[in-house]
Amino acid sequence: MGRVLLQGVTKKFGDVTAVDHLDLEVSDREFLVLLGPSGCGKSTALRMIAGLEELTEGTITIGDRVVNDIEPKDRDLAMVFQSYALYPHLSVRKNIEFPLRTRGVPKDERAAQVESAAESLGLADLLDRKPGQLSGGQRQRVALARAIVRDPEAFLMDEPLSNLDAKLRVQTRAELVELQQRLEATVIYVTHDQVEAMTMGDRIAIMKDGVLQQVGPPQEVYERPTNLFVARFIGTPPMNTIPGALAGIGPDTVIGVRPEHLQVGAPTDDGIDATVAVIESLGHERHVICRLADATMVIVRQATEIVPPAMGDSVRLRYDDAHAHRFDAATEQRVG
Amino acid sequence: MVTNSRAQRRRREASLGYLLLLPAVTVFAVFIFYPFLRNFQLGFYLNPPFPNLPKRWVGFDQYRDILGSDSFVDSLKTTIAFAFLTVPAGIALGMALAVAANRKLKGIGIYRTIFSSTVATSVAVAAVIFSMLFNPIVGLLPWLGVNPTPPIIENPDLALGAVALVTVWQTLGLTFILLSAGLQAIPEDLYEAAALDGAGATTRFWRVTLPMLSPTLFFAVVIGSIHAFQSFGQIDIITNGGPFKRTNVLTYSIYSELTTANHAANPGKAAVLAIALFVITLGLTLIQMRVLERRVHYAR
Repeated sequence: MGRVLLQGVTKKFGDVTAVDHLDLEVSDREFLVLLGPSGCGKSTALRMIAGLEELTEGTITIGDRVVNDIEPKDRDLAMVFQSYALYPHLSVRKNIEFPLRTRGVPKDERAAQVESAAESLGLADLLDRKPGQLSGGQRQRVALARAIVRDPEAFLMDEPLSNLDAKLRVQTRAELVELQQRLEATVIYVTHDQVEAMTMGDRIAIMKDGVLQQVGPPQEVYERPTNLFVARFIGTPPMNTIPGALAGIGPDTVIGVRPEHLQVGAPTDDGIDATVAVIESLGHERHVICRLADATMVIVRQATEIVPPAMGDSVRLRYDDAHAHRFDAATEQRVG
Repeated sequence: MVTNSRAQRRRREASLGYLLLLPAVTVFAVFIFYPFLRNFQLGFYLNPPFPNLPKRWVGFDQYRDILGSDSFVDSLKTTIAFAFLTVPAGIALGMALAVAANRKLKGIGIYRTIFSSTVATSVAVAAVIFSMLFNPIVGLLPWLGVNPTPPIIENPDLALGAVALVTVWQTLGLTFILLSAGLQAIPEDLYEAAALDGAGATTRFWRVTLPMLSPTLFFAVVIGSIHAFQSFGQIDIITNGGPFKRTNVLTYSIYSELTTANHAANPGKAAVLAIALFVITLGLTLIQMRVLERRVHYAR
């Protein structure tokens, strides 16, 4: 297992800069999540690490080797694709065996390693099937088994859960983390799903338009987003942003408050004027969606024990200053 | 009342169905079924050596006589040799061109157009072009200063190869298009996965490209073989079945029985040969389906 180091990594497709001077260090045995909306460059970054895209600028180091000019097959990585990329003409056994065969592992060893990888992912009974005869979840496991059958420097995963249904995704999420810990593996995991990022990553690297926005442990990113983009991207429902003018601190600042830190008060209380637009009940909690004076919508997360306001009510919204994030209205960067 | 109208509706739908089938069935009946059956019947009659004499019913005797004759066996051998000269070479060349053209390069479309262009060239045109190239006076070889005697198409050992060359060239466009389409249908991420799994370019070709392409290759072999067994135009134009019947494939021998250049037309014998060609082609295709298809991986 090893560390992966990206220094000034840039990728241009013609005039489009997909990845812009990306600096990132992934430590040995770390689970790093590359997070961002589609088109942010996260997959391109991963593909450059894999060697499937050439770098325009910068260097990538895996273990102790600079790998810029090393072919994918010699980088000692394993990758799980979004489509799983299973060989449809080969049985599950042969699919898992493939990376061992190409590397000339002797037959007996191969068989033992395939058995053990298949066993650990619950595929022992499916070894003689073809990928076409498997469910989505089973295919995903075969793709994982093919990756873990060797002991590579690092695992690269490109949205491996996005083709699973919601329930299976939650289950597989936990299994993947468990697997990573058991194998003590270095994992670089690409996703656009911030819940996956929050729940799985040791650290999250958030990208936008090819530029790295923030890197840090999930809780830190959640509690101290470095700019408005990160603030809005992490958390469900997303962080509310309230124009400074309405919050009484001047137009140069934007206040960010997470939905759980906003309270609905009576119109006579102190706070920001708002009108209740919609109330969504989720069973375990309630979202009170309010409209501010300038038509900004904000979401208040409320416990079900609290008596809800009625739709159309005029209310005042309050928050504790300790939970308010301040951002520069022009640069969108965090202030203080 | 309700069931009655439902039954009526079903009847109406059925008659509409038959009505819509009628044109296709008519065309098939006139151009396929009737000629096929009529051919069988023709084969039962022995034609006299001179025209205007009555033909005679001999039943299966004629089938036995012709199919047991040396000339039939020779013609069949020639046909098989022709297939072996054209099909493997055609597939290998088509594959090489398809793999070469299957990359994202500027201007690759020009090459794809060139490689597939023979699909729009008729057999007759191809045969005339190559006749000129093979021509001992104005052809390519004399121009290069080589003058084989006898000329290629009059040389009993080379004539079949020359006709095969034309055929490979002429069918290359179709093979190229088929295999290119097959190659483009292979998902890119399989190659990427294989690369990360430690496979170099050669391994990727043998372990990903070839198996993924096997349904297309199989199809190309089957239709290529049928095509080879039915080749006629290039033989008629370039060699007329000669020299010394060395290019007298089954289709040409059928044609020879119907032309009246050297003897009276013999539709009975031609019919028997045609039936034989049909049965052989059918049998060959069935064998290919049983033998080759086991090696085909259909992705599901």
